[in-house]
Amino acid sequence: MLLDYDRLGWLRVALVGFTAAVAAFLLLPVVFIVLLSFGSSRWLAFPPPGWTLKWYQQLLDDPTWIDAALTSARIAAMAAILAVVIGLFASFSLVRGEFRGRQVLRGLLLTPMVLPVVVFAIAIYAFFLRIGLAGTTVGFVIAHTILALPFAIIPITAALEGFDKSIEDAAIVCGASPLQARLRITLPSIRIGIFSAAIFSFLASWDEVVVAIFMASPTLQTLPVKIWGSLRADLSPVVAAASSLLVGLTLCLMIVTALLRRKLSR
Amino acid sequence: MQGSFFRRSSAAGLPAGSGSALPALLLVGLFFIVPVVALLLRSVTDPEPGLQNYAALFGSGTYVRVFLNTFLVASVVTAVTILVAFPVAWMLAIMPPAMGSVVFGIIILSMWTNLLTRTYAWMVLLQRTGVINRALMGLGVIHEPLPLINNLAGVTIGMVYIMLPFMILPLVGTLRAIDPMTLRAAALCGASPFEAFRRILLPLSLPGIAAGGLMIFVMSLGYFVTPALLGGTSNMMLAEMITQTVQSLLNWGLGSAAAFVLLVVTMALYAIQLRLVGAKHAGGGI
Repeated sequence: MLLDYDRLGWLRVALVGFTAAVAAFLLLPVVFIVLLSFGSSRWLAFPPPGWTLKWYQQLLDDPTWIDAALTSARIAAMAAILAVVIGLFASFSLVRGEFRGRQVLRGLLLTPMVLPVVVFAIAIYAFFLRIGLAGTTVGFVIAHTILALPFAIIPITAALEGFDKSIEDAAIVCGASPLQARLRITLPSIRIGIFSAAIFSFLASWDEVVVAIFMASPTLQTLPVKIWGSLRADLSPVVAAASSLLVGLTLCLMIVTALLRRKLSR
Repeated sequence: MQGSFFRRSSAAGLPAGSGSALPALLLVGLFFIVPVVALLLRSVTDPEPGLQNYAALFGSGTYVRVFLNTFLVASVVTAVTILVAFPVAWMLAIMPPAMGSVVFGIIILSMWTNLLTRTYAWMVLLQRTGVINRALMGLGVIHEPLPLINNLAGVTIGMVYIMLPFMILPLVGTLRAIDPMTLRAAALCGASPFEAFRRILLPLSLPGIAAGGLMIFVMSLGYFVTPALLGGTSNMMLAEMITQTVQSLLNWGLGSAAAFVLLVVTMALYAIQLRLVGAKHAGGGI
């Protein structure tokens, strides 16, 4: 009765215990970093000798952190919009196209997700050095759009595959133009897929470190590059404060996602 | 013809329904394929035409050690991740939804939290005077702090932490797809729980384990951030070596050659994974 939760007997105690332990393991660094960011010890002693907000104060007083966060947000937003729009068009072709090599095309468009980022990072860096896009916002956005594209294509094609095309055809039979039918029937029906695509591709850029390390210039730094630099220099508690804000952002994103999904799927 | 967004592709002389993929194809072709191919060419032309970069790569004990270490770390991480993920996925597949959703929430929170944030937390937790060493010493388990960072142990802990969601989530799907009746039948026929596990549950979930494990192995092979921050200099991995060769040593020829080796190994394993699960499900974690 191994797949019967109620009839597992003693095994259930062991397995639930193990699952709880793994959940605690997964939660530990996230909770730890938030607690640490309020600790007063410069040397990250834990439990902290006292509680303070000074690391947040230092973080918000430092314009380079704010700049880095804004740069990240700007680049991630542009990359996500591009990836979702381009991915949406590509998905129609991948799901409904009738041509040879459709699977090859799909594989090709998903390759940036599989190829180790470091290979892409040095390749695009060398290429951008040659054509003068290294260290520019445009270069950043192009590179991140490539990396985000698979994260847009996967949820959108999944949603499109689950959509019954005869509904779209019915709209056309009733007099809608094909474009109208797509815009007013199909797109609203796959909105959950599009929404997931937007979230995933935004995160793909927002959290991206490796390409960013190469692409960054002294005047153009994303948040992960800034954190990376601080981690290599010292383990300052200011990083803990920045990290905690990122955890907070993740939580907000999760809540918004859950609420929107519930609303959209009605 | 019906495939493209605007239904124009056949008018443009393109294969039916392929037109709306053009922007994506152009983007990926120009800014992905071209740069990667240019990099590969560089590995046989920089500083001069020939295979000397590959000879240097495979002829030097230092670089061969980096290759071996990369495979060692990826193997250990994959094995540990599978062992830890399986029981959790098993429980998640059959738990009452209320309990399960709490665990799912924690998994998503950990997965979506910034990669550097998680790695930073482990750097602080695992250091000599860190919480884990102090707790173990306080409990009297150890008397000297354990070396948990800048070595294989540190990389393994940090990487398993990152890979777990990518193994657990697909495995839940695999396990949910197994009909509980098969196990009930085994029990009726007198199979002990262990036998039922070994002869039914495990074989039926093996495709999911293999696909997930392969994906984690491939991801681990090319991983940069966590090994660079939690690993030591004596067990450097390939991605970090490539970065250093290009960024600090400015040796583009050698760096490109190492990148090409990484690319070939990764793509070969990816091809196997596609065979296992089909192109459709190659997304894995998302």
